[in-house]
Amino acid sequence: MTVGTLRGGATHGSALPGLRLTLTCTLVYLGLLVVLPLAGLVTKAATLDWPAVLATLGNFRTLAAFRVSFGAAAAAALIDMPLGLLLAWTLTRYRFPGQRLLDALIDLPFALPTAVAGIALATLYVPDGWIGRLLAPFGIELAFSPGGIVVALTFVGLPFIVRTVQPVLAALDREAEEAALTLGAGPFAILRRVIAPPLIPAVLTGVALAFARGVGEYGSVIFIAGNRPAISEIVPLLIIVKLEQFDYPGAALLGAAMLLASLLLLLAINVLQRWTVAGQEGAYAG
Amino acid sequence: MPAERSIGEPVAVRAAVVLAAVAVAAVMLLAPLLVVFSEALAKGGSFLLTSLTDPDALAAIELTLLVTAIVVPLNTVFGLAAAWSVSHFRFPGRQLLITLIELPFSVSPVVSGMVYVLMFGLQGWAGGWLIEHGVKVIFALPGIVLATLFVTLPFVARQVAPLMQARGIEEEEAALTLGANGWQMFRRVSLLKVRWALLYGILLCNARSLGEFGAVSVVSGHIRGVTNTMPLHVEILYNEYNIAAAFGMAALLACMAIATIGARLALEWRHHRSISLGSEAVWVDRR
Amino acid sequence: MIRISELSKCFGATPVLERISLDIAAGSFVALLGASGSGKTTLLRIIAGLEQADRGSIEIDGVPATGLPPGARRIGFVFQSYALFAPMSVFENIAFGLRVRPRRLRPREVEIRDRVERLLALVRLEGLGARLPAQLSGGQRQRVALARALAIEPRILLLDEPFGALDREVRDELRVWLKQLHAELGITTLFVTHDQEEALSLANRVVILDRGQVVLDASPTEMMQGQGHRP
Repeated sequence: MTVGTLRGGATHGSALPGLRLTLTCTLVYLGLLVVLPLAGLVTKAATLDWPAVLATLGNFRTLAAFRVSFGAAAAAALIDMPLGLLLAWTLTRYRFPGQRLLDALIDLPFALPTAVAGIALATLYVPDGWIGRLLAPFGIELAFSPGGIVVALTFVGLPFIVRTVQPVLAALDREAEEAALTLGAGPFAILRRVIAPPLIPAVLTGVALAFARGVGEYGSVIFIAGNRPAISEIVPLLIIVKLEQFDYPGAALLGAAMLLASLLLLLAINVLQRWTVAGQEGAYAG
Repeated sequence: MPAERSIGEPVAVRAAVVLAAVAVAAVMLLAPLLVVFSEALAKGGSFLLTSLTDPDALAAIELTLLVTAIVVPLNTVFGLAAAWSVSHFRFPGRQLLITLIELPFSVSPVVSGMVYVLMFGLQGWAGGWLIEHGVKVIFALPGIVLATLFVTLPFVARQVAPLMQARGIEEEEAALTLGANGWQMFRRVSLLKVRWALLYGILLCNARSLGEFGAVSVVSGHIRGVTNTMPLHVEILYNEYNIAAAFGMAALLACMAIATIGARLALEWRHHRSISLGSEAVWVDRR
Repeated sequence: MIRISELSKCFGATPVLERISLDIAAGSFVALLGASGSGKTTLLRIIAGLEQADRGSIEIDGVPATGLPPGARRIGFVFQSYALFAPMSVFENIAFGLRVRPRRLRPREVEIRDRVERLLALVRLEGLGARLPAQLSGGQRQRVALARALAIEPRILLLDEPFGALDREVRDELRVWLKQLHAELGITTLFVTHDQEEALSLANRVVILDRGQVVLDASPTEMMQGQGHRP
């Protein structure tokens, strides 16, 4: 096994101490806390034979739950896209009083415990809540419906878009824009040709991150969702229901399915992020 | 804050955009925060105080703080060790290791809790033996600690590792030539180098540990006064229609969240570098 | 004083040093000259103990050095980018080597202070002890790095492209000063450079490396007269 230290891109022999100690600690810790339990999950799921697997996954209620979870997460991420862009743009390119406050506010969904967000959003969107009563005259009832799930996931996912786009926007080559201005390009042209291209991978990354987070979200959602089976029940809740019914293999199967989805999303996000970084470095090449 | 940049758009448009952004933030972000405090004070301040000093509430606060006090140091030590091994060395399986460290971020909280129920619950493969010997893991403190450890595992590592890698090892090598042994080098040079990222990672780990809901919900058993953390207590109160008390506890948690954001701003100011809580993104290994 | 025998090193499949053999006498001032990629920095780092050779051996004062950790070799190393400890003051940087000594060998606080002050005077940075590296100029940082290396009373001083990043004036000044320092202290000094003029003006012996091999080993006068030992 060749072990090397990284120094300026090339690999040299290691005089740096601590590899054995830190690697052992890391592997043991991860092994006990992550690998073992996840292996247990997969093993438990695997105790089901194929007909049982198909029965559980193909069950009407299960399919509906997946539809709800993934559908709402997708909808929320897509709604967050323009909103996040708006916020990122405003924060990076303009100066106005209260800007620092706005920037700090973006972090709220990250810092706020999900249960707190959950009950707050539920209270806001019920028919006599601050926002619910504004929507009620139009017949829009977001609480206790799939719409409520989308609302909750929009809250949770917004910062992902903003924080992925902000650094890219901030790092844009100012001179390229100024050059375009002097050449007579109007705002839309500059947006389209100079600003948008490096932003696209960043936006997509943010959307993917928001989506990945939204799919597994629990605390923010269950208070506003209504949780009616096959209508507004998310997969995490279904897993809990199965656990309460002692259907451990069934719950494990669903968990394994979610785990698989998470891993695939992780992969996709990794690719998107490399694309974003490459795009940023390309922006400097000009 | 960066300077103003325009692409030739008229001032009116700029003003409209800013107003729109503020409106979006107000509705989507500020309103939920305000409603927490508004509802918490709906029955007056003394009710709020009484509900927070209720024995079950105090037990929940105590449990949450205890779990956090166990989880944060453990994950900090792990984070430093993992970051060290991954940033300064190349070995087969390194990328897999990084993925494993990142994994808890991508897993749904409910699944994170469930894996421990599967392991240590009555039907679990480790559980049966332990319960016979009187050791309760699920529906008790150890289970909550484990689930919280899992969920907050990556925070310190992912803050520290990219910084360690970017800063290189020259200062460490210098320390070695000057006669420092491994521990002295790490303590006096390496830790100092990454101290802001470390603090920040600890801050994030702490915040998440205090507020974790889904994972803990699965392993705790919701036993009032015994295995309820603050977020779980919020849920119980809310489901009992004790709304003001629920929001009271929620307000306490919200204050902690505001403190976290404030601490991030303070760290940023001291470190003179922009950091954002949004670094929940996957860390890209840059060569 | 330093005996290098048949030293070889590869990075992956690329050979970087090929069977280098050198004898370096105590008190000499040696320049390792070569283009980038010639292996000169690698050789320096192997002598310091920061890298391990694949084959061959090094003896320092008759004692084999392979396997000896960098801290035990009593070698002072000045890095190309100085590698000063950014959060620590100049004083603490210089005092570092003294502070990390095991208890029995560690000087008392008063003595540490005394030594550091003397070193600051030696490198003409008196009064700057409380400054942070970021507040110093390139030339000043260079001198702090040197003082830091000298604090441990090394028997060998290694410098990796010491004046590379500095501008002309500062470089010339420091060169003169380093030469004086060597004359004063008499420590065996090895430095790496790609600048021929620098090598010829500073050292009393120049070793030219090309692609991992010694191609010329002579004193500056011999070199300029076209003579010299080709191994």
